[in-house]
Amino acid sequence: MNGIKKMVTAVIDDTTVTAEEGTTILKAAQSVGIKIPTLCQHDDLKPKGLCRVCVVEIEGYNTLQTSCTLPLAEGMVINSNSHKVRKARRDLIDLELSSHTGTCYTCNRSRNCTLRELADECGVTEFRFGVKEEPEHEIEESGLFIVRDMNKCVQCRNCERACKELQAVGAYGMKDRSNQIKIAAFADKDLEDTVCINCGQCITHCPTGALSVKDETEQVWDLIEDPTKHVVIQTSPAPRTAIGECFGNEPGKEALTFQLPTALRRCGFDKVFDTTFTADLTIIEEATELLLRLKKVLVDKDETVALPQFTSCSPGWVKYLEHFKPEMIPNLSSAKSPGQMFGAVIKTYYAEKNNIDPKDIVSVALMPCTAKKFECNRPEMDDSGFKDVDYMLSTEEIAAMIKEAGMDLRKVPTSEYDNPFGVSTGSGVIFGATGGVMEAALRTAIEVITGIKVEDLFDHANIIPVRGFEGSRVAEIKIEQVGAVPDILKGHFEDWEWLKGVTLKVGVAHGTANAEKVLADIEAGGPFSECHFIEFMGCPGGCIAGGGMPRPVNLDIRKARASLLYNEDMIYETRKSHENPDVAHIYTEFLTDGPCGHKAHKLLHTSYTKRGLIVD
Amino acid sequence: MYIPSHDDIKKFLAKVEGQFALEKKSLIPILHAVQHEFSFIPEYAMQEIGIMLGVSSAEVYEVATFYSFLEVEPKGKYHVALSIDMPSKMAGVDDVALRLEKELGIQMGETTYDRMFSLEWTGCVGISDMSPAMIINDKIFHLVTPDKASEIIKKLRAGEEVENELPQSYTNELTYDQVAPDSGLKNALEMSPQELRDVVKESGLRGHGGAGFPTGMKWDFCAAAEGDIKHVICNADEGEPGCFKDMLIFTRFADKVIEGMTIAGYAIGAQEGILYMRWEYAFLKEKLEALLEKKRASNMLGMNICGKQGVDFDIKLFFGAGAYVCGEETALIESIEGNRGEPRNKPPFPVTDGLYGEPTNVNNVETFAWVPCILSKGAEWYNSAGIGKSKGYKLFSVSGDCEQPGVFEFAWGMSLNDIVKITKAENPKAIQVGGYSGQLVPASQFDRVLSYEDLATGGSVIIYGQERNLYDIADNYLEFFIEESCGQCTPCRWGNQVLLNHVDKMRQGNVTDKETKDIKTLCETMVLTSKCGLGQTSPNVLKNLMNDFADQL
Repeated sequence: MNGIKKMVTAVIDDTTVTAEEGTTILKAAQSVGIKIPTLCQHDDLKPKGLCRVCVVEIEGYNTLQTSCTLPLAEGMVINSNSHKVRKARRDLIDLELSSHTGTCYTCNRSRNCTLRELADECGVTEFRFGVKEEPEHEIEESGLFIVRDMNKCVQCRNCERACKELQAVGAYGMKDRSNQIKIAAFADKDLEDTVCINCGQCITHCPTGALSVKDETEQVWDLIEDPTKHVVIQTSPAPRTAIGECFGNEPGKEALTFQLPTALRRCGFDKVFDTTFTADLTIIEEATELLLRLKKVLVDKDETVALPQFTSCSPGWVKYLEHFKPEMIPNLSSAKSPGQMFGAVIKTYYAEKNNIDPKDIVSVALMPCTAKKFECNRPEMDDSGFKDVDYMLSTEEIAAMIKEAGMDLRKVPTSEYDNPFGVSTGSGVIFGATGGVMEAALRTAIEVITGIKVEDLFDHANIIPVRGFEGSRVAEIKIEQVGAVPDILKGHFEDWEWLKGVTLKVGVAHGTANAEKVLADIEAGGPFSECHFIEFMGCPGGCIAGGGMPRPVNLDIRKARASLLYNEDMIYETRKSHENPDVAHIYTEFLTDGPCGHKAHKLLHTSYTKRGLIVD
Repeated sequence: MYIPSHDDIKKFLAKVEGQFALEKKSLIPILHAVQHEFSFIPEYAMQEIGIMLGVSSAEVYEVATFYSFLEVEPKGKYHVALSIDMPSKMAGVDDVALRLEKELGIQMGETTYDRMFSLEWTGCVGISDMSPAMIINDKIFHLVTPDKASEIIKKLRAGEEVENELPQSYTNELTYDQVAPDSGLKNALEMSPQELRDVVKESGLRGHGGAGFPTGMKWDFCAAAEGDIKHVICNADEGEPGCFKDMLIFTRFADKVIEGMTIAGYAIGAQEGILYMRWEYAFLKEKLEALLEKKRASNMLGMNICGKQGVDFDIKLFFGAGAYVCGEETALIESIEGNRGEPRNKPPFPVTDGLYGEPTNVNNVETFAWVPCILSKGAEWYNSAGIGKSKGYKLFSVSGDCEQPGVFEFAWGMSLNDIVKITKAENPKAIQVGGYSGQLVPASQFDRVLSYEDLATGGSVIIYGQERNLYDIADNYLEFFIEESCGQCTPCRWGNQVLLNHVDKMRQGNVTDKETKDIKTLCETMVLTSKCGLGQTSPNVLKNLMNDFADQL
């Protein structure tokens, strides 16, 4: 019977359904097009059966059963919309509404709130069990990235479960019980005062407006209005894949890459840059750092050098490591994230080049990420002499600005990104998906070290082994031959002979629950301990499902968004970071002592903080 | 006011660390230890415990705030808790509360400035026949009058010791007194596990916790379940208001429970037993530990029990921390695993997926206590008593408005009229059978009988006299359920409050027909959709009021 799953057959709403044993009634119903309403159920999370909204009537059972938890069994006769079920379902929604405060027209989820949709679908026309006029809980909004309004919470625990199951952080738990129950951070403190990595997965998994990204659009509008300010914005790759969802697109329909520059200029931004430029810069810096580490280990036999090197572009992941494994901080690349590199470059290189006083520059970034709001406020992120990035705005925030300016982004004409960072590469774009950073790094490393074209090794330079959505994966490439050291790296290396015959091993992990496993594997001396370089992304799927991305999110949506990035990768003339001419320029014009040189180090690299797990 | 420093806490934890397995399952025992030391569980302690056990501090916090006897805010050295159940209310606990508030200069729910005393309400303490009941830390007091309460406080203030008052319930003649110790176990070991289970099945023994599931069948399921490790758990979380028969069993016949668990272990192939005691019964800890030691010494527990090769079984004590819902077997299992006592979705059932996902047999205290009696006296002795499918004998704890409260052993099938007579109750208005989750029966139906088929009960019977107000009763019940709901599922979390609000409206006499219809539907929804028995039964009292007492409202 190995590998062959037993099938069971049952009847749901007079429709015969056959499914693998163990399939829940909910999933079995979906497979034959029967929609059973749900509230606390989320495909990313283990079913809990809390809200009871998905109950169905099954012949032979005294009570109604939750279809999200109960597996389909042979011969079951199920009714998903009997009178009993409908009455119960409406009661459950009415009960939930009896404790819900907040007005739909001011709510951040007015467009796509599950509770509101359910009330509509379940025939709720009045507050039969009363409605709370006064909010019971104070809104938590003092932090950098999140607003928590527990008056709108439906106790689905998606936030708590996402934090624990997907992220292995466990920042949330329940406080008290019964009708006093409340989702709370440790000791009911403000979330951001506890062990939280700011990843925002709680926000993207919330079905209502209880959790939202801290809105900073008002400040940005004010600065745009200020004639003394030069307001620039960089847009990172992931948001373009999903911002259309905020305007009514189905996930995966189209990337609005070149509509964004037009719309953002119309909003009043003076310049619109593409973060892919600094993604390419990150590759050069991070790869150089890795080669330096490898040389120290392989040639100098220096045992103090930490390997594998960990990527550092994901601020959620970085904070995770600072809290949970501070002893492994030496493994973390010192390279800043692309967004922060851009910030430092704008207020130095760009300011010099254009004769603008950096103090008058307001640097805004469109990011898929809530952790970036924390990252740009790290005290060490001021190497330009100013705050490198002033505002990190989420995809939904930028969508709101564009809407407010009267545009439907989907219908805006396209235009190019601004110079001097106008060239985008495919490598920079795929940074937004899990495996993308590693693929970009490998494209560059292979060519720089071996002199062989990536296309000769991988069809269309698509390094498939590092792609995909498995939680973690490893890949390896043997360096059979070496080429000449490019000029840009001659300050560090004379030749690559010492790499000849070395098998370069790399790993990828996304979602910090997977990161936790990989870190444990390294400590246990498992396959990941043999890696030289590991890409970690804090959020499942990478930036395309970051905490600052449109809601809802699930595996299908993550895949749809990632495919847009990989499609975009294919359209670029230049698909490798080291071939980006603008990147070459910055090293000849500005960062003249080369990658990981003194100036690059000052502006493009950073340091980390041991945080641990105790808060005061 | 002494608040321990981070260092104090680290030192304490380093000192006790060795007593615990460093796993999540040790969470509640460690929290008890910390609270015992510091009178509450400080924030640093929760974080350090989280690191020790490899769980997040938020997870520690959510467990600490779930259980009513665990405190995360500084509290008094003495937690004075008064029982708020109906028997205590009827016996004048409100007067005791007023006196204590005056005596201590604080309101219920508060702590004295010197942090000597905290005053609060608690659920049923398990001595309803000697109400009002009071519990101070791990000591219980019965028949508490305002003067007695004052005196106890004065003694504690003066630094004097106060003695725990062992409950002494009135009983009729009890089978447990007549069955020789260990005779059941010895007979059981003469049989094969299958034969043993057949005897239990033949006896007709059903769960005495209230649900009445056939015990032998449960044992069969657990024996047949796949798994090398199996567990036997005794559910001694006697929280149903008005139920105190388990308390009697533990004070007088604890050895029968141990023996029953051991027999169950042999019957299903389990080596590990856990006796889950509610925290209110913590005063029994030493006595029970000593009893277990004695059983081990006499080879009635441990390896090769009674010299029979390969029969290994031992029992650990586990104390809850104040949560009625942990009487639900999956909530109880969650609690042992170190979690909030939140019931699981069923199926799967514990017999296949129980403690740590392993096959687990959970039975009530009394169920286990009957097992050695059945093995000693024979299945026929048990199944020849009773009525219909309700075979054998049962302990009933009777309290409230009657002259002779206590614990009574009857065969199933007594009518409520019989109960009225035996307990010398005078013309009662109503009798609550099966605790708050059971049925409130009007006098016109006192010919109904105690049985699984008619009036099922885990043992609680509360008698209400003519002067009792039905709305007060309903309020008290619903307030109890609101306090005790775990809060995870929507119908129970919000529904009980809606029902309570409705009782208030009924009392004021301004209920529209539509509201009545909506509430009746809601009661039905709670029964149909609540995750566990708590929310499925909490509407009973309102249903009873609307259906059976309409003429008396």
